[in-house]
Amino acid sequence: MKPIDDFVSLFGASISLDESLIVKKSSRYFLLSASLKKLTLKDFFYAGAYLGKVKNGRFFPGFELLRMMAEKKANRVVVNMKTEWLFICGRDVFKRGIVKVTGPGRKGDHVLVLNCHGECLGFGRVVSDLGREEESVVIKNISDIGDFLRREARTR
Amino acid sequence: MLVKCICKVYMQNVYAFNYALFANLTTSQRASPASTFYEQLSKLSLMSSKEFFTDRYRKLGWKYHTVELKKTIRINSANVKKPPDLVKRLQDLGLVLTKVPFLKTGYWVEESRFSAGATTAYLSGLYSIQEAAAQIPATLFTELKDKTVLDACAAPGGKTTQLADLMRNTGAIVALDINRQRLTALSNQLERCQIKNTIVYQLDARRVSQLETSYDRILLDMPCSGNFATDRNWFKRRTIKDVKRNAALQREILTETVKMLENDGEIIYSTCSLEPEENELNIDWAIRSLNMKVEKISGYGQEGLTEVFGKHLDGSVRNCMRIWPGQTQGFFVCKLLKSESA
Repeated sequence: MKPIDDFVSLFGASISLDESLIVKKSSRYFLLSASLKKLTLKDFFYAGAYLGKVKNGRFFPGFELLRMMAEKKANRVVVNMKTEWLFICGRDVFKRGIVKVTGPGRKGDHVLVLNCHGECLGFGRVVSDLGREEESVVIKNISDIGDFLRREARTR
Repeated sequence: MLVKCICKVYMQNVYAFNYALFANLTTSQRASPASTFYEQLSKLSLMSSKEFFTDRYRKLGWKYHTVELKKTIRINSANVKKPPDLVKRLQDLGLVLTKVPFLKTGYWVEESRFSAGATTAYLSGLYSIQEAAAQIPATLFTELKDKTVLDACAAPGGKTTQLADLMRNTGAIVALDINRQRLTALSNQLERCQIKNTIVYQLDARRVSQLETSYDRILLDMPCSGNFATDRNWFKRRTIKDVKRNAALQREILTETVKMLENDGEIIYSTCSLEPEENELNIDWAIRSLNMKVEKISGYGQEGLTEVFGKHLDGSVRNCMRIWPGQTQGFFVCKLLKSESA
């Protein structure tokens, strides 16, 4: 699936998904198991693992896809506890909040943001080379798991 | 001044009307058996008071008292390698947790400096917030791995994610709900909890046959009247008419879903209602009308009632479990199997 492969490659990684188990519903992509696929009719609302959606030609990943990427060799940063919470609240990442960098960390790269427990918090775009001494924002938040709380608030 | 006068006259009329109803009812009560009395009350739309419902509870053997519920979390075991480590992590953050004695993965939040739903661990799907009694039904199924399971009234998804967790993401869950907004909430829960074995349909459970699938296990966490422990305005909101309407809907759902159950399958029927119409009386009806049998379950709670307002029910209804509010909200749960003659 091109949109998914293209997105994953932004992180210097690749994942192989069984395309026969990927279903597209409107603009959303889901990965099914074999037993689930047998039960899947055309008009389902949600199924299996949500991989993401394409909107206005742009791919927006689901958090399951980010978790799958985190298990692979995708570019990432690990952040400290204070930054972890700020990131979940939608804030950008300052250099001083980063504990570890995996990957080149060049300006323009995409990186997963993980906490010290290895949990994927979301992802962002590097806005200043991570190797440089920098006091300002180095990773711009694009998507974070705090979105679940924001969604809960919307559906309440 | 005019408004005041109108109000006064109106209120006098209301008092007079209510007095007339009361007098009428009291007379009827003397003359008629309990069921007739309640039916008449229903017609007169007076059956919404706190006194009315608490009196019913007293007749069923429970004395009403207010309850303070503790928030409860459930660890999603499939996502947590070492549950004690997660408990310690949450306690380090400032959540004071105690194990719920009758639940394998449930913990009461005794104290917390922040919302239990505002942690990275929650957002990563390591645990869910789910009331203690509501955690019971999914645990009553025997063997869930690789089964095809129907969650007929699934939203907002607490029990669906629990089922998936117990199944370790194997087999398949078909989750239904009728309300689109609630389905969105359900889908968010599934994504947050890393659930991969569930398919969600916007479908009335009474139309489940449209999916042309039979199920090994069916969870019927019925739409119900709820109970006062989780809704402080419950007594103001509810009437016996609501209870009867819900009971009828529950029978319709039960009738349609039983048709899709495999012969050796299991149904867990649950409500968070205290009203026997939605609980024991419906199960008694299912035994007689749908050829179901009630398998004994044990755990937290009391036996199901076999005598309700003077009506004698099938003896096996005592195999159900009724939970009066206290440490948990009010709840009712039972396991139904197809009887051999079915």
